[in-house]
Amino acid sequence: MNNEERTQQFNKLAVEYSRYFKGKIRNYPNVPVSSINDFSYWYTPGVAEVSRVINKNPEESLELTGRWNSIGIITDGTRVLGLGNVGPEAAMPVMEGKAMIFNLFGGVNAVPLPMRVSSKEEFIKVAMALEPSFGGYNLEDIESPKCFFILKELQQKLAIPAWHDDQLGTACIILAGLINSLRIAGKKIEDATVSLIGSGAANIAAAHLMIEAGFKPQNIIMVDSHGILEPEREDLDKIMISNPWKYDLALVTNGERRKGDIKESMHGTDVVVSAAKSQPGLIKPEWVKNMEKDPAIFALANPLPEIWPDDAKAAGAKVVATGRSDFPNQINNSLVFPGVFRGVLDARSKGVNFRIMVKASYEIANYVKDPTPDHIVPTMGDWELYPRVASSVAVATVEEKLARKVDSKEGYYRTASEIIRVNRENFEKMMKMNIVEQLPEVNK
Amino acid sequence: MKSLKIEVRHAEETDIDEFVGLIMRMKRLNGEFDSLFIANEQNRDGIRNYYLKCIKDREKIISLVAVENNKIYGLMKAEVRERISYLPNYEARIIDLYIMPEARRKNVGNLLLDFLYQEMRKRKITVVTAEFPALNLIALNFYTKIGYREIGKVFGKTIDHTENKKE
Repeated sequence: MNNEERTQQFNKLAVEYSRYFKGKIRNYPNVPVSSINDFSYWYTPGVAEVSRVINKNPEESLELTGRWNSIGIITDGTRVLGLGNVGPEAAMPVMEGKAMIFNLFGGVNAVPLPMRVSSKEEFIKVAMALEPSFGGYNLEDIESPKCFFILKELQQKLAIPAWHDDQLGTACIILAGLINSLRIAGKKIEDATVSLIGSGAANIAAAHLMIEAGFKPQNIIMVDSHGILEPEREDLDKIMISNPWKYDLALVTNGERRKGDIKESMHGTDVVVSAAKSQPGLIKPEWVKNMEKDPAIFALANPLPEIWPDDAKAAGAKVVATGRSDFPNQINNSLVFPGVFRGVLDARSKGVNFRIMVKASYEIANYVKDPTPDHIVPTMGDWELYPRVASSVAVATVEEKLARKVDSKEGYYRTASEIIRVNRENFEKMMKMNIVEQLPEVNK
Repeated sequence: MKSLKIEVRHAEETDIDEFVGLIMRMKRLNGEFDSLFIANEQNRDGIRNYYLKCIKDREKIISLVAVENNKIYGLMKAEVRERISYLPNYEARIIDLYIMPEARRKNVGNLLLDFLYQEMRKRKITVVTAEFPALNLIALNFYTKIGYREIGKVFGKTIDHTENKKE
């Protein structure tokens, strides 16, 4: 079966299984109910007192209800996977899948919330209105540059963390991969030169995070569909209006004032991070040859990377990473968000920022004890990773004075490990007991 | 760019190509705010000739450039206008003000304004006005921040001549 046939088979199974199970997540009560008498405290009359306590101090909602461990996965469905603007209903299966990963790997109760909204202002208004229900928000599949405006506004206005995984999750795992790639090549972050190909949400966030981590802005060159970003580019005023985040980077990056396109951006650099077109050949092997010694190539477009790993290696790349699981070094944000949210929720954090993210990236990079060119980041099966990321993130929220619930790193680690372990064991029990059914036989 | 040692001076005829380059950037920016201000890229020669005349006509037009190492980072064109029915009789009307992106937030706009105010003092002009598209929020914020207030309005619309045309 070739790649195309395999994909078609997965597509078919996805629809058939979805029709059978009718939803990937569901709710169960979290408290014992042995008789009707139990309702006297879980519901009326006793529950009124819980309401009174929360009314006096709304922060108690994070201790007396499930809010502390609940997040909303919010989307308007304007940029779903590679499908584009498919609308909120069609975004639901993707959000359900994300909620499933949040739960399985982070023990987080994530509620998929695709919204029918017509503007970024309306999106923000709905998110603000629902804040009392959640301990955090994961923004998902929102078109760029709208996603930047929404994230910025929500981070400023909410007293719970707002995270846009397409930006921040991807940026975090890119940085983790870069840390180990540079370690392998014996290069320092402050000396490293980087070409970022593609200036969408992920690479813009990656650039900001890299600068926070110590990369020199002038050593970063960004390329978009019109070429290298530099302050004298004719369309820069247009970018200033449509995408101020990209504009800000255009002013501080590219210290050499290089002009040109992908080829020119790569010349003599240590690292390429490409999140551009799914098109092998977009990065040519001869351009890799013109990079610094032992370069790292992150060709992250899915499903097809911008250069095949074998071609990049043959041209001299020391490390090659892609977005795919069938090659070494999968740059996968599923390694990031379950642990990050476990951490911010355990600390009852009021927010999350780039400094916290840098800590998360280092924790992920350090998880790989002896990085090699074919092993720069963990894989999703590394269960120990998630509580480690969670405890690093939680401690960072304390340092940032965002944590409502303060603990030591060891304390946070124990909490996160326990929650993730119990949640996972419960799920495995439910599968064994057939409460969660096995996959049905379908005509494959 | 870390820091700029900007010098403001009157525009010279030899500045014309760079000057028009910045003017076209500004006009394109106006077009981003309002489709009634789409830059006429086809008329580059006409625009060049117009601004060359402006630069030469130092009595009626004050054309300034902000430069460092012979490179223009900003410009201003202000017209000296007679106010036949009002007192005081003359005003300086800023028509064009543009700063290159990397020179923004570095006080270049104020340096250009200071130079203009000096010129006005020499000519005993005490009223300065600025004209810009209503939807250009960047200009609106800039002038509001430095104490300018709205003193008039220009309304406009596009007339569709085919709509009422009788066969």
